[in-house]
Parts: sequence; structure tokens; C-alpha cells
Amino acid sequence: MNTYKALIALDVKLALRQKSVLFFNYLFPLVFFFVFAQAFHAERGAGMTIVIAMVMIIGILGNGLFGAGMRAVQEREANILRRYKVTPISPAPLLIASTVTGWMIFMPYVFVMFGLAHFIYGMPWPKSMGSILIFVTVGIAGFRAIGLILAAVANSMQESQILIQLVYLPMLFLSGATFPLAMFPPWLLVVTQFLPATYLVTGVEAMLMRDEGIMANIQPAAALLLTMVVGLFIAYKLFRWEKEEKIRNSAKLWLGVVLTPFLCLGLWQMHTKSNAEKTKTLQRQLSRSETFLIRGARIVIGDGSVIENGAVLVRGGKIAEVYAGNGPDPKTVNAEVVEAAGKTVLPGLIDVHVHLGGPAGFYPDMKSYDPDKMMLRNLAAYLYSGVTTVRSVGDLLDNILKARSKVNSGEVLGAELFTCGPLFTANGGHGTEYFKQLPAGIRENAEKQFSRIPGSAEEAHQQVDDLKKAGVDCIKVILESGAGGRVYNRLDPGIFTAIAQQVHADQLPLAIHTGEVRDVEDAVRAQANSIEHGSFRETIPGTLFDQMARQGTFYDPTLSVGEAFKDFAAGRIDLLKRSLVQQVGPPELLRGTEEAMASKDTEEIRASLARYPIDMQIATANLKRAYEHKVPLVTGSDAGNFLVVHGPTAQRELELWVQAGIPPAVALQAATSNAARLLGADAHIGTIRPGHDADLLVIDGNPLEDITATERISSVVFKGERIDRTELFEQH
Amino acid sequence: MPSDSPAISVLGLKKSYGEVHAVKGIDFEIQTGEVFGLLGPNGAGKTTTVEILEGLRPRSAGQVAVLGFDPDRQRQSLKDRIGVCLQATNLPEKIRVREALQVFSSFYTKHADLNQLLRRLQLEEKREAFYGTLSGGQKQRLALALALVNDPQLVFLDEPTTGLDPQVRVEIHSLLEELKREHRTILMTTHYIEEAERLCDRVAIVDEGKIIALDTPSRLQQQSRHASSIVVTCAKALPADRPAWAEATQSALDSTGRTLTVNSRRPAATLVDLVKWIDQQGLELTDVHLKQPTLEDVFIELTGKSLRE
Repeated sequence: MNTYKALIALDVKLALRQKSVLFFNYLFPLVFFFVFAQAFHAERGAGMTIVIAMVMIIGILGNGLFGAGMRAVQEREANILRRYKVTPISPAPLLIASTVTGWMIFMPYVFVMFGLAHFIYGMPWPKSMGSILIFVTVGIAGFRAIGLILAAVANSMQESQILIQLVYLPMLFLSGATFPLAMFPPWLLVVTQFLPATYLVTGVEAMLMRDEGIMANIQPAAALLLTMVVGLFIAYKLFRWEKEEKIRNSAKLWLGVVLTPFLCLGLWQMHTKSNAEKTKTLQRQLSRSETFLIRGARIVIGDGSVIENGAVLVRGGKIAEVYAGNGPDPKTVNAEVVEAAGKTVLPGLIDVHVHLGGPAGFYPDMKSYDPDKMMLRNLAAYLYSGVTTVRSVGDLLDNILKARSKVNSGEVLGAELFTCGPLFTANGGHGTEYFKQLPAGIRENAEKQFSRIPGSAEEAHQQVDDLKKAGVDCIKVILESGAGGRVYNRLDPGIFTAIAQQVHADQLPLAIHTGEVRDVEDAVRAQANSIEHGSFRETIPGTLFDQMARQGTFYDPTLSVGEAFKDFAAGRIDLLKRSLVQQVGPPELLRGTEEAMASKDTEEIRASLARYPIDMQIATANLKRAYEHKVPLVTGSDAGNFLVVHGPTAQRELELWVQAGIPPAVALQAATSNAARLLGADAHIGTIRPGHDADLLVIDGNPLEDITATERISSVVFKGERIDRTELFEQH
Repeated sequence: MPSDSPAISVLGLKKSYGEVHAVKGIDFEIQTGEVFGLLGPNGAGKTTTVEILEGLRPRSAGQVAVLGFDPDRQRQSLKDRIGVCLQATNLPEKIRVREALQVFSSFYTKHADLNQLLRRLQLEEKREAFYGTLSGGQKQRLALALALVNDPQLVFLDEPTTGLDPQVRVEIHSLLEELKREHRTILMTTHYIEEAERLCDRVAIVDEGKIIALDTPSRLQQQSRHASSIVVTCAKALPADRPAWAEATQSALDSTGRTLTVNSRRPAATLVDLVKWIDQQGLELTDVHLKQPTLEDVFIELTGKSLRE
């Protein structure tokens, strides 16, 4: 033990007396620290966490490869190890002392860095400091071992320099330590997953940015530990005391053995891609961490109030402060300024009724239609259009949950998603007609994913419970018997009641599709949270609206889908010609739909839709009366149906409402704070107030005077990130 | 280990590297307290032999016991008890003299008093100096000090003065004599004849992996075929007619006629006779000296090559 202590003490002293050690271990990374801090605007957001991760890894690489590797070769070449050879010690104390020394030299530097980050750049002290220190410790140990192995297999100083550079340079440039991984093409990202340094970078970033603990990074931590153990063991076995003892060249293959844990991890990552996803998520989080001040704008708060000339401070993904007037001096709050004079800032719009898997028209080749891909693309289209939140009320369960996890984690950029998953309906009820043409095998699966058809009250309870467990955000039920030649089986009242009871017991919002007044009556009686569609063919009596107002039942008239069906039946394609639709609609969809509308093939569908009783006057009158009876209103579009293209849906719905005579302020409230309330998300979205997510739509003009201004998008802020809208579709 | 058993015993020691036979069968014993020298040219097998004894290399054949340990199998125990001063070793530039002693001391079970060691090796003033700032002699003294940190009874010195200037060599020699007085067993290799003559109790002459002669330096000298000779110089020329002095083998006059060289089997007896005769001739003796064969002569005679090429 004395030997270990004496050697460690000596190694530390020698290291500190060496100018090159001081330079490469402390000064050099510090230079990077300040350069990166400037480049990443570290004072304005989470940039500091990236800077720390990068500089820390540059330090660990230098410490391990040069500090341990180069020095071990030097000592052998200078006949220093030869002197130790005649003493009774084995290589073990030398190797262990080198490893421990590396750690002891590095740790003060870690604290210095956190101190600088905290005091100069205002970074909060990391919450998972313990985990960070453990992780950095295994990182140092792993890299010291790699350095020692390099020393063990190199036959000369020159050889060791080549070997070290061969390991150092890829790790420096491909791990994210110098260039952010977000810049890398996908194939290169695969390569990065084979480098130990990559895991250090993402691990430290995740611990700093998301307060992740060591357990969340247990794979790389274990791999590094294994690297240390295997590395030290092999370094021990291959240890040479004298430069005259040469090692055969094939011994260099041992380096491969040491890196095996990471070879395995890399192969595993090729399969799971979890670290690449983590990288993207972290990158997202960084983009969401900026501090900026939007000022000079009209601010529509979302709850009905308006600030004519105000400012919004966004920090760390949240709305930090809302000011009447110009707000503070941006320097005092470390914010970048976004001048927005003449513009209006609204909360991001919300569409509470979409079918994300619905194609919204015709593709020339429907066989290549991939719901997974399209769901994500559609969510990007919403975000592009300033619709920052959507609720799916009827989609393939597995696909929609996957899409939700991808956008809500930030891995893929797209509107925040809430979903009911499949819809509850009757055997032969509405919702089952879509799959009738499908071949038996596919149909069965599609039906299982898209609908729930309980045969009994017990089954209803069970199915609701199962969906709750699967993680849906709401339950959608169809009450519809059809009209105009389309006849649907309506859900059995007993089963319907059973569903509703279970939904309430599970505390999920209950959304009910209604076709006519009796459906609305049943829905209101069942304490539905929202009435979807209301009725396009029957006038809903005022007493029923009064009841809804008393219960706080939301009314979602989905005028958009009514208009679209009318247009479709009439062969009109104006809705495809809207500017934003042209911008976000998949070109093949726009082309395919336009061609289909002109072709005779769709005549039959058009004729069938024409027979379906959709009366926009009745629908708008119902909406108007709902408003007059003070029913809380929400905006839904039923996007995914013919001609309701995913994207600027909330805007069209708002326009139809204002045309129907709803005041723009009321309509906007429906599309923001009311919708958020229906989703149970009003604690974080729907209004512009401190603490809420920074989901903002910045538009030119004043939507309170001209609701179409909501389509003249200046910029979109989503969770604090100023969205580069032109790049949104490039991620697919 | 009983005190009367030899410190080192070597029997039939061989070492081969593939086809190359570096040591071809060596036998010797070194008694406790003895200073034993291995003398031979580069590549003779001295260093290989010593490194086998130090436990640094395995042997190919033979029996070896060092302080009763088998260097192949009891390497750590052996290394713990011996002191070794290798040639061409180094220490880090920025290590202080004191630190070097402390660190090396920590490797051993037994510890010498480091302050005393510093004093003895005249390194007291340099105790805080960096290794890189030491002169060649100071570095070598430190190397010796490191060989003594565990207060070893057996010390291996591999070419302890090679590359040092004469004055430093003298310093080192007096240190070694001190070690000798402390009855430490010393095995040293050298190719300095005078070093071996001055310090060693016994010397083994090694060539091409074999011991070709082993004895005390003086007896080795006596074995030489070269006789000793007496050189006398007188004020006037000596007579050409000369008698046969006791034990003398031959004599010769130089060109001046005043200097006479007489070869002798027993120079002491011859000298008495010779001086008497010069006195009888009424000659004035101005100079006398005695020339004896050196180890170098012995070495050249035995190996046919010089020690330093």
C-alpha cells in the first residue's frame, strides 16, 4: 500500500512540475472552454452544458491518451522503467498509480470548469453532480487504460505517437467533442456510436441538461469500466520495462480487444439507435434553451386579454416574463432581441380533432403510403403552420404512440401530440367502413389498431382500462347512425354508458362524435368532455347548449370537414390552393388529389358524399347558438379527411367561425386556452404567461381585425426553439 | 540461511537465446562479505550472468542460489533483499533526490536510514535538487544510494564507473571500499582493470560465455607467463660482462649502456643480488624500479584480445 501511495504522490508531483502537462491538462482545455462558450452563446441558454461536455471530453482524451500513453512510452524509452525493474514491484502499482494520478489531476479541473460556468456564465450548479463525477471518473479510468495499452504495444516513441493520433483524432472530431453530432450525416452518426468518447459527450450532456443520473447512462459507464479492467489487465500482461524488449506487431491487435466493449455497444446502437436518439433529443433541448426577448408586438394572451404593445421574454424553453411596453434592457437579462413591431404574438394554435394517419386526399400510389412516416411528416406540417398542438381522435394505436414519443421527446420536430388512439364504435358502426375493402388479414389488424368494439359492459371497462394503460390521453366514442344512404350501427346505450363510466373513472377526457341531436343528448348526459362535430344536419336546441354550458362540455363544430366534404362533392379544389397548404402539403398528395378530382374514378365517391346531408348553415347556426349560450368552444378540423390537409387547419377553422359571426377574440380563445383546457394541458400551454411552454405563433397583422392574418406567419416558436421552418421537412 | 553458506553459488549456468549461446556453462561461488569482480569485454556474457542472478532473466540451465533464493522462482523475495546498480538507467528529470530515495524505499520491506544514506553518498546538499540538474557523478552516487535503500547484504554493481571522469571514479571507488568495510557482499562487473585490482577480492575473467580464469588479482598476475622485471639506471655505463644473479632469467642493456633490465622469477631475491653487484662495481645507482605483469597482461594473454575495443 505504501508503494501505491508513494508512486501516486510522486506521479502527481511530477505531473504538476511538467509544463506540458499543465498546458495540455489545464490551459489548453480552458482556451477551448472560453472559445466554445463564446461560440455557443453560453450565457443565453443551455449552451454552457454543451461547452462543459465538449471541453471535459477534450480534457479526458488528452489526459488518457497523452498523459498516460505518451508518458509510459517516454519512461520506457528513457530507461526509467529499467530502474524500477530491479526493485521488487510488479507493473501493477505503476499502472494503477498512473490511472489514479490521471484522475487526481483531472478532478480539480472539473470543479474549476463548473465554477467558471456558474459564476461567469450563470449556469446553475448541476443537480446530478455525484453522477457526473462518477461518470467522469470511469471515463478517465477507461481512457487512461486505453493510453496504457497504446504504450504497451508501441515499440518506439514515434510508433506511439502515430498510434495515439490514430485513436485521438477520430475521438476528438467524431465524438461531438469539437463538432456537434447534430451536424453529422446519418452514416457518420453510426460510426460515432463505436467511439467511447461519444458516450462520454452524450452522457455528460444528458446529466447536465436533463439531470440524468448514472443509472440512465449505465451502458456506457459499464463499458468504460470494462475498458479499464480489460485495459489494465492487458497492459499488465504486455508490460515492458526496457526499450530493448520489442513487442511483435500483432500485439497491436490487443488495442482492438480493449475497445471490444464499445464495438459491442456500437453494434447494439446500430440496432436500437437509442444513443443517436438521445443525441438528437439533447440537441433539441439545446435549441430549446435560448434566451430571447420578442418586443414591440401585440400580444394576444389566449385567455381573451390583449397587450397592444408588449414584450415576451423566453428562457429555457419557457415563457419567463410578459411585459406591457418594451420590456427590460436585453443585456440585463442576457437575451437576444427579436424585434416584432407591427406583428402579433399568439399562443401556438391547437387543433383538437385530427386523424394523423388520414391521407387527406389521394396519392398516385397509395401502396407506398407509410403511416409512420406520414404521421411525423404531418406533425411537422402542423408545426410549420403554427399549429403547435394537435389531438388525434382515431388513429392506429401503435403507430400513433410511436409518433407521440418521437415528437414529444424532441427527437423529431413536430407539433405536440395528444391522442385517443383507436375509437370506440359499434359493430358495423362509423369508423369500421374504412377497412371494408381491405383483404381479411390486413383488415383484422387494422381494425384492432383503429377501433374498439366492446360486446359487453365488462369488455368496455376492460378496453378503456387497457388503453389507459397503453398511455392514451383521451377516449373517443362514436355515436352515429348515419344518414343519406349511409347507415351505421349505433353503439348500444348500455355499452356506451359503461364506456363513459370507465373513462370518467380513469379520469380521461371523453370525446364523443355526434351525428344528430339525440347523439348530442346522450353525449351530454354521459358527461362528455367534448362534443365532436355537434350536428351538420339537425339544429341543436338551446336547452341542450345550456346544459353543456353548465357542465363545461366543450363544443367542437369541425366546420372545416363540412366545408371540405361540400367542396369535394362539388369538385372544388380551392382548399388545396391555400398558400400554407401549398407549402406544407406533400406534392404527390396535392397532385394526386387534383388529378383524382378531375378524373371519373372519384365520381362515385363524390356522388355518394353529395347525398350525405351536410348543411353548413345548420352547422354554423349550431356554433353560433353554442357561443350565445356560453358553451366553451374549441377548434377541431377533422384533418386527414378529403381536402382537410394536415397543417394550417386551425386557421381555416377560425376563418369559418368568424365568417359564421363568432368574434375573432372568442375564436382565438377557443383555439388556444380553451383547447388547452380540454386537453388537460392548460398548466403548460394555451396562454402566454410566465411558466408556460414557449409555444408562440408570430404573425404579420392583427388577427382581431382580420382573422386571415393567422396565416401570415412570421415565425413559430416551439418549446422555446425558434423553428427553422424551411428545414422542418428535411428531417424526414 | 546459515552464515557460512555462500552468498551466491552458480553451477553449470547456461543461457541461450535461440541459437545464440550467451552463457555457456559457468560455475563460481561468492562468499559472504566478498567483493567479486566479473571482468570481460563487451558481449562476454557478464551482464547476462548478473541479470540472471538479479532475477531479471530466466536461465536456460544450471543451478543458481542467491542468498539461498532461486532467482527464477523467488524473484520478488530476492529483489526485496538485494541492491542493484544498473548501467544506463535514468530517473525522471523533475524528481528530487530525496523523493527518489523515498519512493524506492517504499518498494522494500527493509529500510535504510535515508538521511544517513544521503550523508554517506555526499548528497545532503543536493537532497532537494531535481535529478535533471545533477552532474554525472552525482547521478551515479544517487544510483548507488538507490541500490542501498533497502540496506542490502548483497549488492550488484554493473559497470559502476563506466563513463565517469577519473576524479569521480576515485570518489566512487572510495565509496565502494566503504561498502567493503561494512562486509557487504558485492558482485561487480567492470572492464576497468585497476578497478578490479583495487576493489575485488577475487576476479573471474569471462570471455565468450565462459570463465577462463578465477582467482585473487595478485595470483592471477603471478600466473602470467610474463616474468616481473627490475629496471636499474646508473650514473655511468655498466660493464658488458654480467654475472647470473639469483632467480634472474635474462638481462639487457639499453642503447645508452646506463639502464639495465633484468627479468626475474622472484624479483625480491634478484634485487638483493643485483644491488650488491652494482655496489661491488663501484657504480652509482641513480634509479630502480620494479615492473610486474598487470591484469591487463593476464587478460590479453588469456583471451588474445584487449578489454576495450
